[in-house]
Amino acid sequence: MDSNKKYWKGLEELQQTPAFVEKSKGEFAESIPVEEVLNEAGLSTKTPRRDFLKALGFGVGAVTLAACNRTPLHKSIPYLIKPEEVTPGIPNFYASSFNGQSVLVRTREGRPILLEANPAAQGLNCGTDAGTQAAVLDLYDQAKLQGPKFHGTDTSWDELDTQVVTALGSAAAAGKQIRIIASTVNSPSTIAAVARFTEKYPTTRLIEVDAVSYSGITKANQQSFGKAVVPQYRFDRADVIVSVAADFLGTWVSGEEHTQQYISNRDYKSLKKGRMSRHIQFEGGMSLTGSNADVRVAIKPSEEGPLLIALYNAITGGSLPGGLSSNSKAQTALKLVAQELRQAQGRAVVVSGANDIAIQTLTNAINVALGSYGGTIDLDNPSYLLKGDEEAFSAFLAEANRGDVDVAFFLNSNPLYYHPDAAAVKAALDKIKFKLSFADREDETASELDAIAPNHNFLESWGDAHPRGGYYTIVQPTINPVYNTRQAEQSLLIWAGDTTDYYTFVKTNWEQNILAGSSKTWKDVLQTGFEYKGDAPAGTYTFDTSGLAGVAAAITKQSQALAKDVEVQLYQSIALRDGRQANNAFLLELPDPISKVTWDNYAALNPKFAESLGLGENSVVEVEGENGYKVILPVLMQPGQAMGTVSIAIGYGRTKVGKAGNNVGQNAYPFAKIVNGTLQFNTTAKLNKASGSYELAQTQTHHTIEGRNIIRETTFAKYKEDPSHNTGRWSDSHKTYDLWDKYEEPGHKWVMAIDLNACTGCGSCIVACSVENNVPVVGRDEVRRRREMHWLRIDRYYTIEQEGESYTEEDEIGRLEDLENVSVVHQPMLCQHCDHAPCETVCPVLATVHSSEGLNHMAYNRCFGTRYCANNCPYKVRRFNWFNYWNDSRFDNYLNNEFTQLVLNPDVVSRTRGVMEKCSMCIQRIQAGKLQAKIEQRPLKDGDIKLACSAACSANAIIFGDANDPNSEVSKALRNERVYYVLEELNVQPGVGYMTKVRNTFEA
Amino acid sequence: MSSHNESILREPLITGKDITYAKVTDDILLPVENKPNKAWWIGFTLAALGALLWVVSVSYTFWTGIGAWGLNKTVGWAWDITDFVWWVGIGHAGTLISAVLLIFRQNWRNSINRSAEAMTIFAVICAATYVVAHMGRPWLAYWIFPLPNQFGSLWVNFNSPLVWDAFAISTYFTVSLVFWYCGLLPDIASVRDRAAGLKRRIYSIMSFGWNGSVKTWQRFEIVSLILAGISTPLVLSVHTIVSMDFATSVIPGWHTTIFPPYFVAGAIFSGFAMVQTLLLVMRKVLNFENYITMFHIESMNKIILVTGSIVGIAYLTELFIAWYSGSEYEMYAFANRIAGPYWWAYWTMMTCNVISPQLFWFKKIRTSIPISWVLSIVVNIGMWFERFVIIVTSLHRDYLPSSWAMFYPSWVDVGIFVGSIGVFFTLFLLFLRFLPSIAIAEVKLLLKSASLQQKTKLVKEGHLNPEQVEFFRNSLTKYDSVTEEDIKELEIK
Repeated sequence: MDSNKKYWKGLEELQQTPAFVEKSKGEFAESIPVEEVLNEAGLSTKTPRRDFLKALGFGVGAVTLAACNRTPLHKSIPYLIKPEEVTPGIPNFYASSFNGQSVLVRTREGRPILLEANPAAQGLNCGTDAGTQAAVLDLYDQAKLQGPKFHGTDTSWDELDTQVVTALGSAAAAGKQIRIIASTVNSPSTIAAVARFTEKYPTTRLIEVDAVSYSGITKANQQSFGKAVVPQYRFDRADVIVSVAADFLGTWVSGEEHTQQYISNRDYKSLKKGRMSRHIQFEGGMSLTGSNADVRVAIKPSEEGPLLIALYNAITGGSLPGGLSSNSKAQTALKLVAQELRQAQGRAVVVSGANDIAIQTLTNAINVALGSYGGTIDLDNPSYLLKGDEEAFSAFLAEANRGDVDVAFFLNSNPLYYHPDAAAVKAALDKIKFKLSFADREDETASELDAIAPNHNFLESWGDAHPRGGYYTIVQPTINPVYNTRQAEQSLLIWAGDTTDYYTFVKTNWEQNILAGSSKTWKDVLQTGFEYKGDAPAGTYTFDTSGLAGVAAAITKQSQALAKDVEVQLYQSIALRDGRQANNAFLLELPDPISKVTWDNYAALNPKFAESLGLGENSVVEVEGENGYKVILPVLMQPGQAMGTVSIAIGYGRTKVGKAGNNVGQNAYPFAKIVNGTLQFNTTAKLNKASGSYELAQTQTHHTIEGRNIIRETTFAKYKEDPSHNTGRWSDSHKTYDLWDKYEEPGHKWVMAIDLNACTGCGSCIVACSVENNVPVVGRDEVRRRREMHWLRIDRYYTIEQEGESYTEEDEIGRLEDLENVSVVHQPMLCQHCDHAPCETVCPVLATVHSSEGLNHMAYNRCFGTRYCANNCPYKVRRFNWFNYWNDSRFDNYLNNEFTQLVLNPDVVSRTRGVMEKCSMCIQRIQAGKLQAKIEQRPLKDGDIKLACSAACSANAIIFGDANDPNSEVSKALRNERVYYVLEELNVQPGVGYMTKVRNTFEA
Repeated sequence: MSSHNESILREPLITGKDITYAKVTDDILLPVENKPNKAWWIGFTLAALGALLWVVSVSYTFWTGIGAWGLNKTVGWAWDITDFVWWVGIGHAGTLISAVLLIFRQNWRNSINRSAEAMTIFAVICAATYVVAHMGRPWLAYWIFPLPNQFGSLWVNFNSPLVWDAFAISTYFTVSLVFWYCGLLPDIASVRDRAAGLKRRIYSIMSFGWNGSVKTWQRFEIVSLILAGISTPLVLSVHTIVSMDFATSVIPGWHTTIFPPYFVAGAIFSGFAMVQTLLLVMRKVLNFENYITMFHIESMNKIILVTGSIVGIAYLTELFIAWYSGSEYEMYAFANRIAGPYWWAYWTMMTCNVISPQLFWFKKIRTSIPISWVLSIVVNIGMWFERFVIIVTSLHRDYLPSSWAMFYPSWVDVGIFVGSIGVFFTLFLLFLRFLPSIAIAEVKLLLKSASLQQKTKLVKEGHLNPEQVEFFRNSLTKYDSVTEEDIKELEIK
């Protein structure tokens, strides 16, 4: 309706009076009485309600605006020119090697974050031990030098080169000696570089010396067979293995390689074929190898030699004097062992851990009698990992003392730490005019020398290795040098006046020597990471037994010398080995496979022996060596330790290695002694109870299964009768009822099988898991409070055997008299990804939920930390972030700086304080594997996805895969008769199956 | 209720002579209307220092993380949840007294319900602090409630007992607070009417305009009954649900169907003990002997005896079932409680909770004020240990021996617990100072029926069975507030 009617509100509007016009301008607006309010009168007047509301509105608005802080910006700078091979978010892998182990280095956006065994090198010393897994952290070590040093002050490379060349020149002019002291150099290119250097300075000699020596073996082989090498052992070819104090699965020669060989005769595949080797271990301290033995007999170090004499006599029918006369248990075992060995002619091996020429010569005699050479022992493709000779080093010290040496370089060598007589070394070094170290940090030796020319980390270096006959690996850099360091070989070349860069040098060396006559090119090698030229054919070896009487006499003499006091056995711990990586927080917190101690070394004593000395849990003891060296060490009660002996790990007690590793434990090297030119780790000491107490940081403090069925064991004889013997097979005989609906798992169902017979307990998986998943290191005090964060742990349980009975309950064990006979089982324990997970039902906020692929997920962002899930976890695998471990100065073990944080895996979020975490079955790897398959438009294949732990396991004890694929390796493994599930009776339906532990014990 | 004469056989609930309505008001409002005495100040200072310790300990925890406590990978709850359950349990007596006893027309509750309810509220406040403080990320505590949110379709897990717990505790707190405050209204109005100035204005606001009309009283009675009806199931539900935090788990020693009744009995047990602890001091210091009489004390001791016995039977049943179950884990859990490393906690619990209340079978003991007071504290120590035993000894050695661990409290654990007692007493002492600690209006109801004065009058009037009077006289001998002359007066000449 159209209307032009207009209504006035009043006459004023019609007439448009001035007053009205004025008013209508401000019809709705009312001026804000700021002035009135702010003047003094205003302040005292009553505030009208509307003003109050205005002020309130303004105030709230202003405060809100003021509080709108900008979100802090973390700038990530894109590549200006993107390198062809780098795609952010996609890892690159480079083949390299560490300690002769061929590895793939995983890099992300140009930084190495993980080492993995090179799958192409399967069977060729492939595999990674805990040290290799942790080695990536050494690259990001803050203790490293940032540039060269001269007399303790920073200098430039030019300056340093001038100084070095001057020193070399004057030495050459005076005809004085130049020495390069290095730990074993098996790198062909390094040797070539040294040769180039020697051309220029002919008085140069390379002296190889290792902290832990195998020269006893080398020299015995020289004497017996004319070959000064450490042979390659082939445990895969042995049906009967006798080890006398050789920790061959752990630290002896090449543990990872041996583990693969050893397990190939003992894992589920071998058992399926009805094959299992028998392993008898005689030793004093409980070693990793001893813990895996079928039969372990505790003997003192002084009994090692006599035992071998008796064994030789029993096998050959010989009558060498000085056979074992003490230790009735060992004598009984010896008879059975000799019989076994004789029957396994050609398929047996005897190894001995003593670094002693006489004992090794006798061992050679036994092995010749057993026909081991060419079969289980390969002298023709020897190991080149450990070639050090302490006699050569002693000779060098003598030369230095005489004043013949003017220049000494130290490459990977730290004798002021590991030499038994560091004072003598220091005195000798003081007589040398110019001393230089290539150490990457100011370590015990480097800090005492004139100059430090810091070497690259291996991840920044070019290089190669020749770990054993016919097998060469390369080392290639995966990151630009972080600091102003220079590769040692490059330095040697420069000082020799050769300006070739070391990359070209290595490449040329390979092309001219190693790859000569091969169809492979340098590029091929860069891709595969190694060159294997095949094994040299086995020679035949005979043994001249005429000298054995003298050997036996020498053994008897040594044995008597050892037996006079408390016998000390120095050993390398699985984590720290010789102490080279002692600043590595991952290794410091890796629990010892046997004692589960972290962050310390200790005096391991048999509980009964400790009792007799008045020592107990948390006691401390003063150990006084033959040379008067004294340290105070905490006592560890170690069942299985031979009575009257003490085991002490070397590699601890470093003083100049870095923040994490300084003054952790005590240095045990000074207890060692050099006898007949070989370094002896068996010695004697006096033990005196010291005052005070010390609590070791152990991740496990209860050591037996208390008769529970969580570990299921059988013997090989019983297994042959019934492969499912003692698995319990609870689900076969019980009907279960569920409260919950069955989860549909239509696509994949990720599960795991763990072979208890394959797991040696070495702990490589623990480190791999920590590196992959950014699991924080928490430090000694937190471990003492039982707060270690490891997602994967290895439970170790003792069973005490006495008079044919097994005891697993601590009450019973407390009443036993003899704690030498112990059997050990290692059980990797991680989140079982239960289908009916108790943790999931109790979380109030659904922070932990089940996936359609059978995984138990943890949503960190949703977790507010009631810890109910951890309480309700029957396996106790959940870990709580008690503090902000990565950003709290109290836990400055490694990660509280931006440099070391570069080691973090960007695929895994680092967890904040107050949040629960646990094994995710490397969900990021599963996801990456699935995406890769999707990109390639193909179904996921078994083996596409490897978890960090299973990839790190040389023994293949951890098998991961898809249970929905009946042909996957894990499905096959889980169909094995030996499979059982831990705590199956709770009906939590765990996703990790375990296979019974089978021991090939003597049939009684 | 006051219109008829109560049987002479019933013991008086109010003693003293010349008691008038005015005198009741005067007596009860004495601490509210006067400056606090020295005893109050000493108590308040101590309590406030405790509360300060609590503030320091909790702040330290929030600043550094739960790692400040002694917990570890195996024992994820210890003192925190022990204290939580302990305080929630203590809270139970208030509701029982105010609701259940009201419905059952137990008039003797009238003198003690006010302070018992106050105790409930303060205890639940203390308990609630642990709910928040024990979280790894307490600033996200609100996630426990099914609130609409911007995190996607994120909801809470209705299967989780912790969610039930959050509902139970918050409901319980709300209802208890409303019930308590409604009951306070007529008494606040009394304070208002006698006060002047600012005080009058404040109490006036707090009294919600109470005018004392018949209609107001009628509504008051109806609301009280309705709230009592709502509260009654809460008495059972709250601790039932708290017990389900444990009972629904798989941990041996927790996974137990007996927990709900056992926890409820234990809660009432500890609640009455705490009421006893508080009232025995309060009646002495505030001269309430005529209102909180020996009858009250004895009745509460009887309840402690009964619930203590229920708890004892529950302990024995647990042991039997552990054996009867044939489950080695269950058996070990209990063997470990009895003889494991925490045996001393178990036996402290047994002694304090099972053996000590049995002393109340003796009339001499249950009518002795000092012994009652000591035993009430013993019971509360025992109930703290009960929760500690259940939580820590079950967790520290569960299924896999590799993870067995010990729990050692840190100074923060101790600080928060001791501090929470400080918080509790600070609140309770402020309550005594500012609000009538006995329900004035409800006590007045009893004056014309259940007071000694009234009964004396009845006796003097004659018409009573002399045997019954004699019985009544004998029952008075235990009263500390009744003199021999008072009893003599009742002799029928």
